[in-house]
Order: sequence, then structure tokens, then C-alpha cells
Amino acid sequence: MSASAPPAVELRDISKDFGSNRALDSVDLRIGHGEVVGLVGQNGSGKSTLVKVLAGVHEPEPGGHLFVSGEEVPLPLAPGQASQIGLSFVYQNLALAPGLTVLENLTLGQRIAGGARAWSPINWHAEKRSAAVVLDRYGVRLNLDQRTGELAPVDQARLAIVRAAEDLRRYRTQSGYKHSVLVLDEPTVFLPEEEVEHLFDLIRTVTAEGAAVLFISHDLVAVRSITDRVVVLRDGKVVGDVPADEIEEQSLVELIVGAAARPSDSVAAEAARVVEVAGTPAGAADAGGAGGENVVVEHLAGGRLEDLSFEIGAGEILGVAGLIGSGAEDLPYQLFGAAPVDSGTLRLGNQTLNVAGLRPQRSVRERIALVPADRQLLGLSEQLALWENIVMLVEDEHYRGGVFHRGELVALAREAIARFAIRPPDAHAATKTFSGGNQQKALLAKWLLARPRLLLLHEPTQGVDVGARQDIYGFVKAAAALNEMAVLWVTTDFGELAEVCDRVIVLSEGRPVSTLTGEELSDDAITAAALRQIRPAGLGQQEPAGLGQQEEDAR
Amino acid sequence: MSAPHGAAAPTDTERKQEQAEQARPSAVKRLGLQRYAILIVFAAMIVSFGIAIPSTFLSIGNLSNILGGQAVLFILVMAVMLPTVMGDFVDLSLGSSLGLSAMTLAVLNVQHHMPVFLACLAGIGAALVVGLINVFFVVYFDNDPFIVTLGTMTIVQGVIYIICGNNDVGIVSGNLSNWVFNNNFLSIPLEFYYGLAIFLVVWYMLSFTPVGQRALVIGQSREVARLSGVRVNRARSWAFILAAGIAGIAGVAYAATNGTVDPTAGSALILPAYAAVFLGTTAIRPGRINALGSLVAVYFLATGTAGLELLGTQSYIQQIFYGAALVAAVTIPKVNRERIFKRKRAA
Repeated sequence: MSASAPPAVELRDISKDFGSNRALDSVDLRIGHGEVVGLVGQNGSGKSTLVKVLAGVHEPEPGGHLFVSGEEVPLPLAPGQASQIGLSFVYQNLALAPGLTVLENLTLGQRIAGGARAWSPINWHAEKRSAAVVLDRYGVRLNLDQRTGELAPVDQARLAIVRAAEDLRRYRTQSGYKHSVLVLDEPTVFLPEEEVEHLFDLIRTVTAEGAAVLFISHDLVAVRSITDRVVVLRDGKVVGDVPADEIEEQSLVELIVGAAARPSDSVAAEAARVVEVAGTPAGAADAGGAGGENVVVEHLAGGRLEDLSFEIGAGEILGVAGLIGSGAEDLPYQLFGAAPVDSGTLRLGNQTLNVAGLRPQRSVRERIALVPADRQLLGLSEQLALWENIVMLVEDEHYRGGVFHRGELVALAREAIARFAIRPPDAHAATKTFSGGNQQKALLAKWLLARPRLLLLHEPTQGVDVGARQDIYGFVKAAAALNEMAVLWVTTDFGELAEVCDRVIVLSEGRPVSTLTGEELSDDAITAAALRQIRPAGLGQQEPAGLGQQEEDAR
Repeated sequence: MSAPHGAAAPTDTERKQEQAEQARPSAVKRLGLQRYAILIVFAAMIVSFGIAIPSTFLSIGNLSNILGGQAVLFILVMAVMLPTVMGDFVDLSLGSSLGLSAMTLAVLNVQHHMPVFLACLAGIGAALVVGLINVFFVVYFDNDPFIVTLGTMTIVQGVIYIICGNNDVGIVSGNLSNWVFNNNFLSIPLEFYYGLAIFLVVWYMLSFTPVGQRALVIGQSREVARLSGVRVNRARSWAFILAAGIAGIAGVAYAATNGTVDPTAGSALILPAYAAVFLGTTAIRPGRINALGSLVAVYFLATGTAGLELLGTQSYIQQIFYGAALVAAVTIPKVNRERIFKRKRAA
């Protein structure tokens, strides 16, 4: 960036205290014209606070300065003022109304204006024509009359980004200023990895049009491939500001987490012990569980699955990989009885269940655990206190003789909170007040307390910071090893599978196409296996693969 | 560059933890104030009425009137709570179920000379049928409860007119009236104690059993409950059926209290019942539908109206009191919280 031109946006000496807690500590941030800057850091490092200062949600402490195109704008910003100085935001939830059409969502920003314009008639034909031009400009193909909720997640993200970028373009033409910054606050969290890449082209188009981009994400791969420069926040301070193409992922992780090694192993061992503690004497005596059981799934079909058979050994962590549409993403829900299945059997030890007739309540009784990807909608009840969520599945064991032993449950939850290192350790706080990583740990604690025989995980580290991610790997590994519990791990983060799994099955079009173990397990190998299998239709039907044949395919 | 920061990190997190724990008492205090706000206002109201009209307000007769006279509403409130706590926010038909139960009882007892005990059972049975119909259309066909119960409410109201021939029906057996209304224990009509018994059962069920905890989860996040193995639809069905049954019992109490049943009996009670339930969510366990809060709310409203009545105000003033209390109760805690926050920000 040339030294002469003032940056599009510059923040100087921004601090923010919450009570006596310093969330931001003299943060400086410069974003040049047309530059893509990545902002990374753990949950609680101050990323969201910084974004909220820019959005006018939080008032920074006095002494901070904000410059746009070299002109100072007095802080704090009023809510809504951000859009008047050329800032536009796309948040994780995208702020799209699912019941409205694409066109209605795209033009929503122009409906906000008050005064006489609020009463002028809308010419929908003209709106549609100009909207089509807008979509064309960004190279996005969408049906303007479609309900937004019916769009694929990646298209919803595209729509939100186009809308924000278009607001910025209008700002530049109307104000005459050259600067504008699009702030992307983790809009990719709920997207599968290969879909994220489809957004990169769009982001490049946005910068080509003249806007700068501030890209906030946990996804270090995405950050490194799309940004020009990465700014790392830790404990409210900028601890790194490096060109994206010069930094290794490992050193980036070290910057984010801090050099002090996390005592991950001991934390995990502790957590595993909570699983033991949880069992009441009656539960422990029940011979059904702790002995370690093999899990065998045979001829599972339904939904996207054609015919899937596999086995998980006692204490084994089996990964399932596949691109979107391969059927991998539905598998945990199907085995839990929460998504439709046509046929197939699930053998737990010497007990055989018909998966087609399985319902969640039966699965819970058989001690099958499901950690769903959407923890806010499917995993935890956000309004309830944390302890109520953690002990949800073991309440019955603490209801004896007509008395509900609430104290025991709270104590149990406290113990889990301590062992799973959930911060802050406040059992009575509402669940929604915890960060994503801590919620995910609580969700894991909830299911591990039920002493599962089979643990089904779907995207267990989605939207979770690097540190908590390592903790979660440790907890699952320790619990699997200690209780000889079978684990099924489904994610589109293939690097994660390579790191935690003993064995990985790759699915394509509802069928297993290869199995990778030991030395073969790597991010690249899994990706290659998943991609290799996309072949033109009609090249020959794949035989329903037995386990032996999958081994061959892997070679 | 990163080493010093790294070394400092653990102490930082420890410090944050301590702060989090220190910060708690003030939050507890704030919540505590909100929890008992209605009770405080309740007490203040009793004191002011007591000073203004001591001879009539502070009398056994008035206490008996408040506790006994509102027993029908109190029982209906317990019914209304059950579907509401499970996230089916409205069962409008409960008022009509009450009316249907009372009218069935009156018609069978007065016009067909059925023994009063059997007539009571028939009345409660009729209400249960309405509950089953609701279950069929709301739970089985997964419809919006507001729309379905708006329909069943209207239908049941029509049925009531058919069976009574558009006339008031009375007077029901004196035996029933004696056992419900005329006989006292500690100067308070027996029906208050029936209401109290139902309250105790509902309170125990919702607050002190895993069943109640599951109901709460269903109400807060239905999908989480489903994926945690809770039989969501079964629980919702039971809520509708039990609620209809309790509304049926309220209908019996209504018939016994009034002697004569008029066709519009229940419809006047359903909105006050909802007012009490939602007012109850601001007390004891703020933000949650809870039995104890509903109990407080019912008698808070009853005491207010009784006091206003004794002061000689018109009945429409009492209606305004009802509505205003509800809106004020849900709004005031928010106003306070906003102010506290702003002051903190300014400081």
C-alpha cells in the first residue's frame, strides 16, 4: 500500500472495558483501499467487540480515533451511522428474511428510508430489471422470485454479500468518496469448506469494484487464501499483523493461541473422568455399556444414502468424509433416528436395531448420543441455565421417591463445567451468554454424561476457536479410549478428520468409495479421495462395496 | 514477540474468572428485585387499601370473597399454564371448555335429573373431548394452536347454545353448591382449597419433577428436546388433554358457585386467565411460565379488583386495572435494566 494515500479506514488506540474487564486494549487497525484484511483470534479475543465498535453498538473508551479516507470521524458512532461513512456489515446470521423473495431481500436496504420515499409506489418491474443487472455485475446467478429460505446456504451468503456490496457502491457514487469497507463477520461458519471457496470469487469482485474487505473468521485456511494481510487479536491486543502469503498456518495458530502450551492432554483426561463420575452406581452395574462394544452398520439406505455398511470398533474414532450431497452430512441424524431411513440395521454389541424404525427417544434409551452441528437450534436450549442443559439427559436418575434432587444435578453440572474447562464457570448463567466454544463443550458434556455407547458427532468444532477445538479433540479422544466408546465423526473439515480419526471412510453419492487409515490419513488424501470419485454419470455402476473392497479402493 | 503475551495469558484468564464470579452478586440482586416486584407491589396495595377502607377491606368477609370468589379463575389459570409452558402459546378453547362443562352439568342435572355426581363427570368428560379434538388438529396435524383453538372455541360456543337452547340453566343441585361454595373451612369456601390442591399438583409436576423440566425444554426449544429423546408430541398432547380436564373442573366449580349457568360463562374468563399466566412470568422465576408466579398473579389481580370494588369504582375501572397491570408488569423490569445499563456506560 502506498504511503501517500490515506487508508480507507484507520482505527487508532481503540480500547473498550466491560466493567473491570478490558476487552480491547489500544487496538490499531488500518485497511487500505481495495485491500482484504483478515481478523483472527480466539473467542473472547475482542474481534466481535471491535466489529461492534465499528457498527456503533459499543462505545469505545475515550482516546480512540477513527479516520475514513484520512478524515477523522468522532467516536462513538451512533447506531446506523456506519452506513453513512461507508461501512457495511454481513454477520453470521446474514440478516436475510427467509420468507421473502431474493428480490425483496436484495432491495430491503432501500425500503428503510423514511419520509416521503416510504410512501412512493414501488415499481417491481423496474426493481427486478435493475436487480438482475446488480446480480450480473457480481457474477451471481439467482432466481429473483425464489423464496430466500429455499436457497442453498452458500447462495444465501452470496445474496447477503451482494446486498452489502451494493449498498457500498451506492454510497460511493452518492457521496463521491472513494473508500468503503465491507465487514464480513464470520459469514462462512455454517458453510461447508468447498462452498467457502465459491465465495472467494465474489469477494474478489467486490474488491475489484473498489471496496475494501475486513474478513473475520475462525477458518484459517479461508483467511490465508483470501486475505492480503492478517491481523491477530489476543486478549484484546493486536499480537500480529502479517502478510497472508508469508505466514505458515502453524505460526498463525501459535499467534492466536499464545506460546504458552495449553495443557490439553491433562484437561482431556480430567474430562474423561467426568464420564465415570456421572454414572450412578445403578448405571455402572448395568453391564450393557462400559465393556466396549463394536458398532456395525449394515446396508443403510435412505435419503442420499444408497447402500452403506461399516464397522466401528470399541474405542475407535471413525471419520466420515464427503462433499455436500455425498450423504455424509445426514448420516449422524439417520443413525440417531432423526432423519428418514428406508432400511438398514445398527448392531451395538449383540443388540440389533432396525434403523428405519428408530426414533430419537429410543436412541437416547439405547445410549446413542448425537452432537448436532446446529447447536443453537438443535443442541442446546439457549434460554435455560447452563446446568439445566448439561444434566438434561440424566435428570431421571436424580428423581427418587417423588423428590427431585436438584442440588445433585447442579453439583454434577459444576463438576462437568470444571472438568471441561467451560468459561466462565457459572452454572446458573443463561446458556446463550456463553461463547460458541464453551457452548460446544457444554453440549459435549451433556451427551458424555449420559455414558453413550455410540457417539455421533456432526461438525463438532464449527464456529469454535482454535483453543476450544483442541480441547474438544482431547475430550472425545479421552472419552473414547477410557470407555471404549465408538465414535462417528462427520465433518467437511478434512484436516480435522486426519488429526483425530483412526480411520476415515469417504462417501460419494451415497456410497463408500474408499477407506483411509494410519499413514494415508491426511487432509490432502481425503480431499483427493472425495474429489476423485466425482465421475461422469454412466461410467459404470459401483458395486455395493463391502469393507474389504473399500480397503482396496484406498490403495 | 508473542512469548511475553503467552506467559501472561493464564493469569489473565484467571483474573477474568474471578471477575465473573465477583460480578454475580449484583446480577442476583437485580434479578431478586425483579422476582419479588409483584409481591412488593402486592403488599403495598394491601397496605394502601387497608388504610383507605380498613373496615371493609381488612375483613374476613373480603378475604373469603377474594380467595373463594376467584377460585374458578384460579383453577382455569392452572389449565391455561399447561399448553403455554410447552410453547403452544394459546389454547383459546379452554374458556369454552369451562362453559361446556358447566352447561353439560347444569342441563343433565336440572333438565334430565341426573345425579349431580354423574353430571359433574359428564361435564368434565365433555371438556376432555374438546381437548382431544385440539390434540388431533394441533399436534397430530401440526397446525398453529392459535388458529385451531380459535376454531374449536367458536364451535364449542355454538354447541353450548344448542344444548341450552339459548337460555340460562339453573339451579344446580344444592348438594354440589354446598360441597364447593357454601361450606367453609377457616371461613374460606371449600373451592379455594380445591384450587389449591390442583395448584400443588401442577406446581410439583412443573417444578419438582423431570417431567416438568422436560416440559420447559419443549417450550424453550422443541427441536433440542426432540433430539434429546423427549417424546415431544406425546407431552404436548397430555398438556392439551390435562388442561381441558382442569378447565372442566373449573366449569364444575363455576356451576356450583353461580347456581345458574349462562351460555357465555367461560368466554369472559379466558382472557383474565391468560393475563394472570403472563403476569406470572414476571414473578418468582422471571422469564418462565411458573405455577407459583401464576398463583401470585391471580390473587394480585383479584385483590386489586376487590379493593377497587369496595372503593365503589365501576367495573370498567377494574378492567383497566387488569390490562394496565399486565402491560406494566412486563415493561417495568426492562425500563429499569436499560437505565442501569446507560448509567454504567456514562460512568
